[in-house]
Amino acid sequence: MKEVYSTGEAAKICRVSQQTIIRCFDSGKLEGFYVPGSRFRRIPRDTLIRFMKENGIPLTNLDSDKKKVLVVDDEAEIVTLLVDVLERDGRFEVKTATCGYDAGLLTQQFRPDVIVLDYMLPDINANVVCKTIRGNPSLEDTKIILISAHIEEEEGPDEAHQLGADAFLHKPFRIDELVVKIADLLKL
Amino acid sequence: MAAAGLQRRKVELLLEEVEHLPTLPGVSLHVLPLVMASPPRPRDIQLAIEVDPTLAARTLKLAIDLGHPAEAMMSIDAALHAVPLDALTASLLSIDPVDPDVLHGVELVRLWRHALATAMACQVIATRVGTVPPETAFLAGLLHDIGQVALRVLMPRAYAQVLERLRTGRADLLEAEREVFGVDHAVVGRQLAQRWGFAEPLQSVIWLHHQAQIPAANRGARGGLTELVRLADLLARQHGFSYHAAEQIPENTAEVAERLGLSGVQAEQIGRQVASAIELNAGRAGLRDEPSPTELGRVLLGANVRLGELYRSGYSLCHTAQAEFRQASLLLELNAALATCHSTRAVLETVATTACNALGLRVAVPYAVATDGSYVEGVRCTSSGGIEEHFLHDIAGTDRLEPVPARPPMPFPVSSAPVRAERTEGWLFERCGADLGSGPFYAAAMAVADTKLGAIVFSIGDPPHELTSQEAHQIASVAGIAGIALKRAQAEADLVALSEELANVNRQLQAAHHKSLQERNVASLSEMAMGAAHEINNPLAIISGRAQQLAAQQDDAATRDILQTIIDQADRISEIITELRAFAKPPAPKREPVDAAALARRLADELRPQGASAEVPIAVDADEGVPPIEVDPDQVAAALGEIVRNAVEACSHAEGGTVTLLVQALAAERSVRFVVTDDGPGMDPTVRARAFDPFYSGYEAGRRRGLGLPRAYRAVQANGGDITLESAPGGGTTVRVTFPAFQPAPPEPANGSARA
Repeated sequence: MKEVYSTGEAAKICRVSQQTIIRCFDSGKLEGFYVPGSRFRRIPRDTLIRFMKENGIPLTNLDSDKKKVLVVDDEAEIVTLLVDVLERDGRFEVKTATCGYDAGLLTQQFRPDVIVLDYMLPDINANVVCKTIRGNPSLEDTKIILISAHIEEEEGPDEAHQLGADAFLHKPFRIDELVVKIADLLKL
Repeated sequence: MAAAGLQRRKVELLLEEVEHLPTLPGVSLHVLPLVMASPPRPRDIQLAIEVDPTLAARTLKLAIDLGHPAEAMMSIDAALHAVPLDALTASLLSIDPVDPDVLHGVELVRLWRHALATAMACQVIATRVGTVPPETAFLAGLLHDIGQVALRVLMPRAYAQVLERLRTGRADLLEAEREVFGVDHAVVGRQLAQRWGFAEPLQSVIWLHHQAQIPAANRGARGGLTELVRLADLLARQHGFSYHAAEQIPENTAEVAERLGLSGVQAEQIGRQVASAIELNAGRAGLRDEPSPTELGRVLLGANVRLGELYRSGYSLCHTAQAEFRQASLLLELNAALATCHSTRAVLETVATTACNALGLRVAVPYAVATDGSYVEGVRCTSSGGIEEHFLHDIAGTDRLEPVPARPPMPFPVSSAPVRAERTEGWLFERCGADLGSGPFYAAAMAVADTKLGAIVFSIGDPPHELTSQEAHQIASVAGIAGIALKRAQAEADLVALSEELANVNRQLQAAHHKSLQERNVASLSEMAMGAAHEINNPLAIISGRAQQLAAQQDDAATRDILQTIIDQADRISEIITELRAFAKPPAPKREPVDAAALARRLADELRPQGASAEVPIAVDADEGVPPIEVDPDQVAAALGEIVRNAVEACSHAEGGTVTLLVQALAAERSVRFVVTDDGPGMDPTVRARAFDPFYSGYEAGRRRGLGLPRAYRAVQANGGDITLESAPGGGTTVRVTFPAFQPAPPEPANGSARA
């Protein structure tokens, strides 16, 4: 989670102009600091939150700072488990899909940063989902982690790579490992 | 009338012996020269026979004896046509003339004339009446008094008494005969006719021609033969051809004639016609001749000489027949002996022995050409030493043997007739040389359907002599039979070979079936493992994931340990599924030339610590110059590792066990073999049979997952190798893993350098 924001970022979160933020910074209404040896202003997270509360600005946009994760698996318990794990972590906003079609739809709407994608789905398999996503330039930055119960660990990474996915996990997996892989991909 | 009964029985006994009746001396004198004429004159003989009752009876009997049906023998002409001339002449040569005393004492010529006159009258009546063929009527007339002829010539003195009684007018003929013989000539005649097999109508005529009222059963149609003969008999007697001087004719001829549809006048005409014509026929029959004893003696002597000649020629024929019979018996015996021969060798030996023993061969070498024509199988047998040699002679690629036509067959039949062998069977003389002794040698082909299967090479006699035509004939017969037996034996051998081949194919099919079954099992296992991976790993992911969550939140170390166990066991299950899938569908090998010896040494080094911990030493040895093999080194090492580990496990159950890993170069098969031997407890057959089945553990349950050997098996298969396991309880276990040697590409043979 981001701890320090630039004036531009703060303006975006507060939905005001950068000039307004700079004015508030310079007037002392919004506390912050200069990057040592420069004129770049930086605002810590907690002072930004206090500033927003004082001025009645909704915190919603601050939350959107969380990374968006789309979990796709037809196994309900797996989905529940993954949602549980990722939300507890606090850095992720999680949505779920149980089939390839929903996965595609949500990818368009939700614009996830990471898709945790089970290979075997009831309608279309992960290979088709991957192909669709990789065929869309606007989703270039979307990372895909392939998980599978029947692709072996040795073959998994190669298979994932061929499909255009960025990582592979064999079920059963270590939940820590999943979180680490997501964080790695998103450079958190 | 006991005396009459006795007399009658005597007559019956006498008649039972009678095959032929003698004839008149004049007839003999007339007929014998005709019979002895060279060539015999059938027409003249017929003319003589058909007017004489005894000759006619003799001819008729001869025809019937030769098997002709009596019903068809109803005329002399028919009988003569049925009898071969030589049989007839032979029969006639043996006719004997009655004694001149008898001739006169019982008035035989009179009787003969009566028979002839009756016959002629019969013929005329039959021509008029049209109910009976004239020639049949003639024959019936000629034979009607055959009983009287028999009584007169066989018992002339007794018959003289009959005639005496007639002269004194005390009785009629039949009564007089019954008084003297206890039986009359009609009954006697019928007995003879019956015994000689004459047709029923003739028997009736002979029996009933004196009866005024003929029983309906024997009368036949109106104008039947018996009535006709009765009229003819009466007419003959009325016109001077009575059978004795003092005869009275009591009956009214006209009545009898009317029953046949003839008037008395017509009958009278016929009688006169016959009377005027009879002298002609009597002359033809020689009835008028009264030969002097000298004259008759000369003719009879001639007949005797001719009979002697006939006997001699018959004897010679009989001799030939005997020889042929012996030959036939020999062939029958040979055939029976050959029927039990089921191999070429047995046939050859039987033929050789039989030929030497029964045909007087000094040396017999029957040989058979193999069905593919590549060699000759033969037997050498001598009259003195029996079977002396059984040999095989290679003829492939030589042209020394007379060509044996296989297909197409020779344009003309192959004859079994022996030919001189020195030229045609040169190979044999080269081969056996002095063992064959001196010649001349002959070869009789053993052939079936124009195909020569072999031959019998032989010399005959001691010292050997030129083959006579009879010997040639005998040996040709033997060779013919032997050829058939040979063919049968060869066919039998072919059949055995075929059935062996079939059994072999069957075994291969079974193996293939077994393999395909195994492969199908593996395929379905692969499918099952694939499904299992999905179905089991998902729940495992949930179990494991939740356990991980709980463990992360848990402060209590003991609870965390428990949760960790859950996580670990979930992983273990997942691993089992992974292994199962690997067994069912091994990863494609990445093959390259590999130094098998180096691979084995490296493997042994890696596993030695494990062996040491189980106190099982692992020895390794390799042949010199083991060629490289083209396999995936990691997969093969893993497979061999499984096998060695298995061996170490097995040995760890016994004390002082060792495991040996050998690498052998099998030059002949161009392959390399790894041999892993342990001296552990070995496996019983059930365990051994299932050693490569997944999850079947031969040792204590739960010791291993039972996928080690099965995976090794699959990996070896995937790398083009073969794996066999040999084990017996108490005898340790040997596993052999064989790979074909790497064959470098021809242009650059140095390419296949071993991978170190």
